[in-house]
Amino acid sequence: MIAFADVNYFEPWWVQIIKSIVIFAVIFAMLPILIVYERKLLGRFQARYGPNRVGPFGLLQPLAEIVKFAMKEPFRTATSIGFLYRIAPVIAIVTAVGALAIIPFGGVQHVFGQRVGLYGIDVSIGPLYVFALAGISFYGIMLGGWASGSKYAFLGAMRGAAQLISYEVSQSLALVGVIITAQTLSLTGIVHAQQGLWFFIPQFAGFLIYLVASFAETNRAPFDLLEADTEIIGYFTEYGGTPFVAYLFAEYANMIVVSAIAVTLFFGGWLLPFGLHPPGWVDPIVVVAKIILVFTFFIWVRTTLPRLRYDQLMSFGWKILLPLATLNLLVTAIIVVT
Amino acid sequence: MSQVIFFIAAIGAVAGAIGVVTMRNPFYSVLALIVHLVSLAALFLLLRAEFVAAAQVVVYAGAVMVLYVFVVAYVGGGEQVPAGAVLRVLGPLFGLALVIELWIAILGSALKGISSKGAPYRLGFGTPQHIGSLFLTKYLFPFEIASILLLVAAVGAVVLARRRRGLEPPGEAFELQIRAPRPAYTGTMAEGADTNPAADSPSVEEIVEQLAGPTDGPRSGGGW
Repeated sequence: MIAFADVNYFEPWWVQIIKSIVIFAVIFAMLPILIVYERKLLGRFQARYGPNRVGPFGLLQPLAEIVKFAMKEPFRTATSIGFLYRIAPVIAIVTAVGALAIIPFGGVQHVFGQRVGLYGIDVSIGPLYVFALAGISFYGIMLGGWASGSKYAFLGAMRGAAQLISYEVSQSLALVGVIITAQTLSLTGIVHAQQGLWFFIPQFAGFLIYLVASFAETNRAPFDLLEADTEIIGYFTEYGGTPFVAYLFAEYANMIVVSAIAVTLFFGGWLLPFGLHPPGWVDPIVVVAKIILVFTFFIWVRTTLPRLRYDQLMSFGWKILLPLATLNLLVTAIIVVT
Repeated sequence: MSQVIFFIAAIGAVAGAIGVVTMRNPFYSVLALIVHLVSLAALFLLLRAEFVAAAQVVVYAGAVMVLYVFVVAYVGGGEQVPAGAVLRVLGPLFGLALVIELWIAILGSALKGISSKGAPYRLGFGTPQHIGSLFLTKYLFPFEIASILLLVAAVGAVVLARRRRGLEPPGEAFELQIRAPRPAYTGTMAEGADTNPAADSPSVEEIVEQLAGPTDGPRSGGGW
């Protein structure tokens, strides 16, 4: 069988460049929309209005905030290490954006007589690519806390990094179950394998484990110990202005990536239920709609569950989630082989 | 294009390796090592070994180096201990031995690859499927041996950690719960259910008294 990844190399170079620009632009246009969407929804969940002053229905709120952040005076603590302090948010945002490259928004289609795969690149290593970038993104947090030259930022970064590496193990093990079921690592291949039955039904345990671990990986409630707004301080304590926005955007881009991976691996990517086969141009819209649904679930959980304590977080990750993920992997492997 | 990427990655790898040994601050050494490992991953990618590149980043840059960073960030950055006389003699000797060994290995292969274009790319080379089937067929024995080695290391680490723990007294003495009754109408759920969970527990004064032990008259020194 020819891997889908190898098909992709036959695209001319300019198609790949246009694709990367389009994906980048669409996702970065989505980020402010998602931020205002989250805040509106949070308001509704908490029986208040949410932002409603800037622009119609408060829709221009993120724009106003970006202007506010950009106008701030750049500062850093006297003890900080300039080079690393500046490069840390860059690492965070580059790795977050880089992971977007493999999200499939559709299969290979004919666009203006040209065969184009509606994804950045379909790598043969699939989810491993995301985990490699997640491994690097850890240094964005770590260096940010360390280079700030502040004890509190440093401790926050250490705590956050420990959380990230603890839950990354469960997250990746949960995905291995899907990979075994689909018998391919290519993300488009996994979507094709879901025709008829989306994987969140046969891999329901894996889906739950992935979801919980993703909450921890993206620092969302109930695992938002990295930035618990009201009580403690995180790795970006000493950051302000645009570097802080970079961290914020990286977090939201990570949430989009995590939601998109969930959509691709568990909710059938661009497939629709009930035997619907819409024309090809609908596929990206289906994927984006599904991503927003998963994102809404993130917000729902955030308003519903209280925050965990740090020792609870660690013991839950290592003593419950990791054995469960291993068990899920073993059972899946036995079922597939027999 | 691939030449450009090759030279960027190669310079990154060599500069990172030099940085590891020349940096005085151990934290920067670790960072240089990370740069080195990521550059190596880029070189693997150029050789179409995607899985090896991803494994390199996930395992080494993403997992092993994280632990290095943790340890160095917590305990590193202290006083540099100057090398002893023995180390100062032995260090260059071992380095020289390693260089000679490497040159024998490089020249022993007669550098056949330099004048040729190298092995052709076959479809499916370097994919996870290819590597996985090789691991389970041709290289099964080394693979299993390496697994057992890692297992032994993991068990050894657990055993060492347990032994250290065994010397400490159990931490129960530090746990103390004071179940003091709250003032009325502070809105607890227990109050709503018309119960008082702390009714039969001793009062705060009694617990403090119990903790302080027998006292002879008013306490003279100390206190909060």
